[in-house]
Amino acid sequence: MKRSPLALRVLVLVYVGVLVGLPLGFVFQQALAHGMRALAAALADAQMDHALWLTVKVALVAVPLNVVFGVGASLWIVRHPSHFTRVLDALIDVPLAISPVIVGLVLMLAYAQNGWFGHVLALWGWHVMFSYPGIVLASVFVSLPLVSRQVIPLLREIGDHAEQTAATLGAGPVRIFFTITMRSITWASAYGVSLTLARVIGEYGAVLIVSGNIAFVTQTLTLDIGANFENFNTYQGFIGASLLALASIVVLAMLSAARHRERKRHEHLA
Amino acid sequence: MSILLNRVTKSFGNDLVLDDVTDEITQGSLTALLGPSGSGKSTLLRIIAGLETLDAGHVELNGRDVTNVPARERQIGFCFQDYAPFYQMSVFDNIAYGLKVRKMPKSQIRREVDELLALVRLESFTERYPRQLSGGQRQRMALARALAIKPEVLLLDEPFAALDAQVGGELRSWVRSLQHELGITTILVTHNQSEAMEIADRLVILNDGRIEQTGTPQAVYDEPANAFVQGFLGPMTTLRGVACRPHDIELCSEGQGVTATIIDILRLGFETRVVVGDADGESSWVQLTHDQAQRLDLAVGDTVSLRLRAGGDNAPNPVERSR
Amino acid sequence: MAALVTNAFGHGLGSFWDAVVAPESLAALRLTLLCAAVGAAVNAVAGLATAWVLVRDRFIGQGILNALIDLPFALPTVVAGVTLYTLYGPLSPLHVNITGTWIGITIAIMFVTLPFTVRSVQPVLESMTFNAEAAAATLGASAPRIFRTITLPTLAPALLTGTGLAFARAIGEYGSVVFISNNLPYRSEVASSYIFSLTTSGQTSAAASVSVALLVIAFALLLLFGALSRRLSRGQR
Repeated sequence: MKRSPLALRVLVLVYVGVLVGLPLGFVFQQALAHGMRALAAALADAQMDHALWLTVKVALVAVPLNVVFGVGASLWIVRHPSHFTRVLDALIDVPLAISPVIVGLVLMLAYAQNGWFGHVLALWGWHVMFSYPGIVLASVFVSLPLVSRQVIPLLREIGDHAEQTAATLGAGPVRIFFTITMRSITWASAYGVSLTLARVIGEYGAVLIVSGNIAFVTQTLTLDIGANFENFNTYQGFIGASLLALASIVVLAMLSAARHRERKRHEHLA
Repeated sequence: MSILLNRVTKSFGNDLVLDDVTDEITQGSLTALLGPSGSGKSTLLRIIAGLETLDAGHVELNGRDVTNVPARERQIGFCFQDYAPFYQMSVFDNIAYGLKVRKMPKSQIRREVDELLALVRLESFTERYPRQLSGGQRQRMALARALAIKPEVLLLDEPFAALDAQVGGELRSWVRSLQHELGITTILVTHNQSEAMEIADRLVILNDGRIEQTGTPQAVYDEPANAFVQGFLGPMTTLRGVACRPHDIELCSEGQGVTATIIDILRLGFETRVVVGDADGESSWVQLTHDQAQRLDLAVGDTVSLRLRAGGDNAPNPVERSR
Repeated sequence: MAALVTNAFGHGLGSFWDAVVAPESLAALRLTLLCAAVGAAVNAVAGLATAWVLVRDRFIGQGILNALIDLPFALPTVVAGVTLYTLYGPLSPLHVNITGTWIGITIAIMFVTLPFTVRSVQPVLESMTFNAEAAAATLGASAPRIFRTITLPTLAPALLTGTGLAFARAIGEYGSVVFISNNLPYRSEVASSYIFSLTTSGQTSAAASVSVALLVIAFALLLLFGALSRRLSRGQR
């Protein structure tokens, strides 16, 4: 393995270290700056705790929804191609390129009281804007492509010979799905799920618009952090930020593990 | 299980891949579907398996019309060219898969899989994973997996194409003896004519979606129905404008045949090829065995006389074609 | 999505255009594009260097570096935003204050887009064998020359795709940019926060108009980079 020049190595390490590592370290430093007792008190802050709980509730619904959709759509697009699936494929990638603020705007236009769908839904007593369902909807929207983008190229690469073989051995479609298909995309899906989780708990702009940022009611943890900063509760904000940063690190570990296992899967294709 | 194909037709979009194919395959035989790439042979195999639908015609297995029966109900064993191992499962679980689907009790599964492992000589690989197996071993595992469900017909799609010459050769003879021992109706798809001739009881030669000829290897080789079959099954050369097999040209005493000069001699182990050119500039080549070449002691530049071997009928015959 | 477009044009083409070319809007768009371009360009280079070091080298801490690259993907934008603000703003322990400047915004963008370029180049680099480069070396080419004429062209398509993605993401970025930018209209307001202020002040059709404009720009960029990338990779088979 050729080794790159020392200068390059140093340069890259410094760049990434300062750009990424420094802020990360800073978050934790700020959180711990006032000692353990202040830390404990801040963790018990009612507003933040509610926000935390809300974020968890959103994730519990949004992430599984996206996984089911992501895997299902990927299978459909790869194994049963048609004009419709090609459109679907392109549409799925859309949220990746859109600013979260625009996402919020779009949802508002569609689902507010006087919006296109909101009008109809309101008749049934469903309020999307400024409420929990709206936040879930926004979260699902922004993380829509994350699972598919991992699974689709993999499904294409693997091909369906194994599934066809299982069919000749007598297995029905459901059994084939769970014993063959799912097992071959496990780690790619895990990678996508980790990304989805990170995106859902970390979404700011879209949720800001859709939820109305009402403390104790529709304020997720990210919004709580933002609100604290705007009100100069810097310390409280950094506590919340640390929690999310910790969560991100956990997600990173999950990503790393998934990537590692996926690489091992590749070895036997040699 | 006997197989009847009746007027099978299949297109992919605007591409006519199988055109009105009719054939009957007898119980217990080993048939090779032979043809160049794109001849439709793999598609035909997949249609028999139920992995592909057909546009017209029908397929019968043992007298039963299975045209609309899905693959999982046809009781067939299928092996892909890439062996399609279930990478996430051990060799044991791979082979046991079809038995688990049939809800066989665990102890019985264990017995049957062990038997199969012994049959394909993979006993020591029970707990290994496919990624740890060589190509030949994966192929044997795929066969064991297909045989586990006691299929009535075994379908093999280019099973030896990805193996090197030696491993492929060994596996070929092993498959042939296995098939004779078990007596399962087997169909093998290949583009390699020597492979087909080596192990098949009967050849079905396909070209461009149509059957050109069927028959035993010897019959088809000696009495090809047309120029395509003749050229596909073996080497061809010309002598004085007549198309013939290089091994049907013999060297004779001077004056009895065409005079030609030896241009090149290629020694290829068992076979020696002698390239000759006659006075008009036409070139042919003669195929000799190792012994023949040694005895004749030829050298480049020698003048020789050539003629067609007596008794070798080299013009295409109107042999019955199956339609 | 259709709702967005109809709302944007609902009040006629004229008002769509007015909203887009309003001075504040233009200022915001210009600033956004500038910062995004610089950020993406820097990260194109940095991403290439980082991927290189990750793939073609072995040193301690490589694993951590690899994991760190994904951090901007995983970290909530607002966390990045407030941290960068505190780190480089008025309360900065480093005694710098780049809030309200285009540099601050660009740094935020660099943070967010680093993974895009690295991760798009990395797989290509990993699957590259050394053969072509070895052949060039036997023909007498020097290391820089080999890099310029062999390596770089092979990586170019992936690099372009990644940079395009980074660019498109950057022009829409909100959470990480909004704090450090201070949002001064005409001075340091990014397109996304301009749209935000329009939305929350009820000027929905203007917001929709500018959004459409931004989306058009984003898609145009993606198409452009995608086409460039495809054009380059066509010559490689």
